[in-house]
Amino acid sequence: MSRIEAKKPSLCTNDPLTKERVSFSLSVLSGIVKSCYGPTGRLKQLHNGMGGYVRTTSQSSALLGGLSITHPALKVLTASVQNHISRFSDCGLFTAILCCSLVEHFQRINFAACTVTKISRHLLSLCTDYLKSEACGCRVSVDFDSIKTLLSLVRSILASKPACMLNKTEANHLSTLVLKAFLLTIPHTIETNVVLGKCVIIPVKGKRVMDSTVFPGLLIDIPEFQFARTFPVKRVSSSAIKMALFCISMSGDLSNIGEGTVIVHHGISLEVAVLDQLLNLGKQLVNDQVGLVVCQKVIHPSLKQYLKEHCVITIDRVGVSMMEPLSQMTGSQPIAALHSVSPTCYGSLKDLRTESFVSKHFLHLVPNDTLVCSLILCNRNEMAWDELKLACQTAEHVLQLTIKQPLALLGGGCTETHLASYIRHKSFTLPTSVLKAIDCSRTQYQLVADAFCRSLECVACCLEHDDGEILTDMVYGHFWSVQSGFPSDCNWSDLVLKCGCGIYNNQRNLNWTVLRSQYIPFAPQSCSNEPSINSTDHLVLDCFTAKCSGLQVAVETANLILDLSYIVEDQN
Amino acid sequence: MASQRLRTQRRAVSMASAASLDLGRLVQEAEALASVLVTRPTGETLLTRDGRRVLEALNLGPPTARMIVACVSSHHNMTGDGAKTFIILLSKLLRGLQAILDKREGSPFCEAIQRSKRDQKHCHSLKQISQSLMTFQTHILDHIMAQDLRKHFLSAFSSWEGEISRDTMESILEAYFCGRIGNSHQKLLSQLSCDFYYRCIPFKNGKNEMLDLVNEYFVELHSAVTGLPVSNSRILEGLVLHRDFAVYCPADGDIRMLILTESIDSALAPPGLEFVVNAEVQYQASQVWITKRTEAMMKHLQNNNIKVLLSSVKQQEIVIYYAKISGISIVECLSSEEISLLCRTTGISPFIPTQDNIRSEISETMIAKFCRPLVLGSKRYVHLGLTRTCAFEPHCVIFCGPVHGITEQHASAFHGAFKMLQQLFKAVDLSDGCEAQPENTNNTSKTVNDQQLKTSMAETEKQFIDSSSWVDENPSSLIDRGSSVREICNDAMTAIENTSTSVVSKQLDAAQEYWKPGNPIVPFKFEKSYKHTVQSYTNLVIQAGSVLPVGGNFEILLHYYLHSYAKQCQQPKITVISTVIADALLSIPKILYRTTKENSFTQVCFKATSALQTNQQLPMHQQGLESVYCKYQLVASVLHCLTKLLTIDLIIGIKRPPQKTEVNDSEEDL
Repeated sequence: MSRIEAKKPSLCTNDPLTKERVSFSLSVLSGIVKSCYGPTGRLKQLHNGMGGYVRTTSQSSALLGGLSITHPALKVLTASVQNHISRFSDCGLFTAILCCSLVEHFQRINFAACTVTKISRHLLSLCTDYLKSEACGCRVSVDFDSIKTLLSLVRSILASKPACMLNKTEANHLSTLVLKAFLLTIPHTIETNVVLGKCVIIPVKGKRVMDSTVFPGLLIDIPEFQFARTFPVKRVSSSAIKMALFCISMSGDLSNIGEGTVIVHHGISLEVAVLDQLLNLGKQLVNDQVGLVVCQKVIHPSLKQYLKEHCVITIDRVGVSMMEPLSQMTGSQPIAALHSVSPTCYGSLKDLRTESFVSKHFLHLVPNDTLVCSLILCNRNEMAWDELKLACQTAEHVLQLTIKQPLALLGGGCTETHLASYIRHKSFTLPTSVLKAIDCSRTQYQLVADAFCRSLECVACCLEHDDGEILTDMVYGHFWSVQSGFPSDCNWSDLVLKCGCGIYNNQRNLNWTVLRSQYIPFAPQSCSNEPSINSTDHLVLDCFTAKCSGLQVAVETANLILDLSYIVEDQN
Repeated sequence: MASQRLRTQRRAVSMASAASLDLGRLVQEAEALASVLVTRPTGETLLTRDGRRVLEALNLGPPTARMIVACVSSHHNMTGDGAKTFIILLSKLLRGLQAILDKREGSPFCEAIQRSKRDQKHCHSLKQISQSLMTFQTHILDHIMAQDLRKHFLSAFSSWEGEISRDTMESILEAYFCGRIGNSHQKLLSQLSCDFYYRCIPFKNGKNEMLDLVNEYFVELHSAVTGLPVSNSRILEGLVLHRDFAVYCPADGDIRMLILTESIDSALAPPGLEFVVNAEVQYQASQVWITKRTEAMMKHLQNNNIKVLLSSVKQQEIVIYYAKISGISIVECLSSEEISLLCRTTGISPFIPTQDNIRSEISETMIAKFCRPLVLGSKRYVHLGLTRTCAFEPHCVIFCGPVHGITEQHASAFHGAFKMLQQLFKAVDLSDGCEAQPENTNNTSKTVNDQQLKTSMAETEKQFIDSSSWVDENPSSLIDRGSSVREICNDAMTAIENTSTSVVSKQLDAAQEYWKPGNPIVPFKFEKSYKHTVQSYTNLVIQAGSVLPVGGNFEILLHYYLHSYAKQCQQPKITVISTVIADALLSIPKILYRTTKENSFTQVCFKATSALQTNQQLPMHQQGLESVYCKYQLVASVLHCLTKLLTIDLIIGIKRPPQKTEVNDSEEDL
């Protein structure tokens, strides 16, 4: 008899957000994410208390993946941030911080959840409409003719991950490499459906970051004993090597027998029959002047030996993940037959070389049309390498997103403060008809708008971890920080140097004020016709697509959490 | 002994009402524009405003509560709506009945005192109530709907052909989504579902077929993407198959496609056959032959201009290889539902690759306008632009949201909306048998409604028995449930000792027999009085597409007419029952108007009643519309659930799970 256990009744909690347990966990979580934000963010060590691997990180994907959260409402928050990261890779901390502060600020004004939801939805639509409009004053268009903006974008991402332990030169070097690797994956001929190639990251730990480099084509790890005796290669011409790519096992095992019975008479060996077939295949490959045979699975040693005698290089066990880049790069089609192979399936390579790094040896497959490249990524220790790899992948993803939508947002807190001053100004001058449509009073609207703007500013403030003062100007609404320890009697204009994103230098007429103080709403001016956009080398930029989506996700998730009035926990 | 039994029986009712009262309170709260977060044992979190989801997630202990939840679930499955209203109505009805039983003196249900023994009195009155309820449901409800309420119904159709205008559709859907999802996305979802309806429907008369198909294959017709804002949700033309291409060869123009349910490549020794190897050469030759055969088959497909193979099974690598060479794309491992959806929309049957048909022309093909990869979130799917061959223009919905809980909530609400629309286009009419033989008053009307009720009843009963099995398995839970259960157990023991047959089974049998159409049991001696009502029935109780404005209009109307019916009714039992039901119905508008200040409940009720008395149109407060059929179905389901609750007089805890065979037997009895 099957074992059946009694189900426990579920635990039902009402008004979960007013409970001590949630507000405490929320403040802990928001404290963690806030302290990680930005280039000067504090690092977190994740470990399980039982020895083993310790991860040092400040990146949201590693952080949230490691935290174990028990409260269902907070689980919703982290799950939505994690889902955002899996879509966009970037702006995870931004989303998390904004969502936490929205929940905190909205709770403080203590309106009915539906009123807050309605107003904040309207505010969100104001934000997204503004960001998507031409008039938007905090975005720049990315020009693919010059690499300046692209490089700024990549550099901003790498610089905001302090756990990578990069200095300025290293960050510059790596940014160039990542950008170069990305550009190699763009096909030369553009058709209607652009399929980007792939950048394979190869780990080399224990070397300097400056030793990192990019190779066009693929690097395939080979054992040292093979390394010495692979050459010479049979070439069709000086710059062409024919190659065959197999996706089935060439180990000589019996395949596709079926579920019926096979009766083998005494003295007959099927293995011999299969090996015979394999050697015949080898003969055909040699006749067809194939110089390189790559197999996803195992190649029989006899076949390997035979091919080697005829100057054909064999690489086996490359695995399924390498099949697509291999076929993409060489134009060869994976072959799944052991006889009568069609010559149309062969691909070609420009060259075949060997490379070695530290103790690793690679066969370098040089293609005619790049599309695939290998990034050899070096860093001093394992922990920093993991963090660096994640950062490089994020940068690659951001570049892919940017090519789809060639826009970038000003980084360094400027977008948040600019957006906040825009919303303040808008909510101040909102027509009554809109209020009627939302069905709320002007005071209600302004209170929610204020909480919304404060949450945005709160994200910007998280960039400052060293007790500095944060200012905003009353012209562009940008973010300016002042180091701590300034004399109390001096002017703000004597202290500030550059705004967060690096567009503006200290100018006379900017009229600074402390960020979280009360000020009269003003319409922030746009930076789009600023000459310094193209001349400044070191702009701080953020991914447009990721940040827009992060903003929407944060507001939606915060509304969701505020709207909860019951939690039913299944305790089984 | 007698008094003890009485106590137990009373406890059964109060337990049922107590359990439902708890639920009622919770659901009332849930209805006040609040959403509930549900965690599952697997750790995933789910957001919902769906009453059924909440009830099911509560894992309620008492068996009566579980039975109620099962009833709610089956009602919800059918109509896609009304779980919360169900509970509220049921709890009010139980309270009302409790009050009658408590009063006892002067109640028409207690008149049988002299005839029966005292200890059976309570049981008897319960049974009588349940029988009156049954009569009410099958006769009076339909009568009132047809005679009085019908003149207030509006038609959703703008013309005789059954067309429905976009405005009407929007107001119906908006009203539906109002109770199901957060007010921030309500507008978006009603727009989305409205769009979906109009884009899927190919011609005016195809709506029922289209709705059936959408409801049956909803899982295949929607996809969810997490990590994106909700505003990215959209409708796509064509179908999305939830698989990636095994081989993708881009093709333009009209694309011919085949459906496959078996492998193209044949094995050396297929199941059940023997392959004898006499020589190595023979083995090699047969391997070569198999490969050649596969190659020939793919060539044949290529010659027939087939561009895409949609396969339910995984194809061999060799097939993939030759497909790539011949420029044929392959999608494999499609679910059986996806295959059957494809067959339904295109009207073709799967292709069978055999030696015989290699020479003949391939006829079973479908044409697609496009067939390309589609990236949704991190997954790659196949996007298929099928040309229509049936009453469904292929479209699918993409739900986006920050977390799975949201997309899930939206998908289930969307599905519910289409279930509701399906109900909206249903009509209730009286069976011909009922009219032809008015003397057979006990014949339950054989409408769609009753058929559904019966199947749902069988289902819920099964569910109930299934789910109750674990409690009985665990003896400690019996003790946990406290003295009442122990008393019931004792009582059951003595009942078995003292009486020849089990009371429970007798009662159950009686209830089940009653549901048999044409059963000659006559529950009431007032036969004659019902005859005229039966004869006055018109053919249609509810026309297809009947709607009423939201905001408790249906309940207020039914309340009003039930009251006036009760006033003129000659039978005291029916009068009492009608009054109880009428009063319970009012609880729904009472809750609806609880929060708004301008339209307080009493005002609304007063205005409506005075309008009815002077034969004027009802004042409308909100713009939304709701399906009358769903409301009618809800009242019928609640009354049915109540009847079922009242026919139980003992709850017996047993040590082993009820046997499956017994379940089957009881189903046959039905």
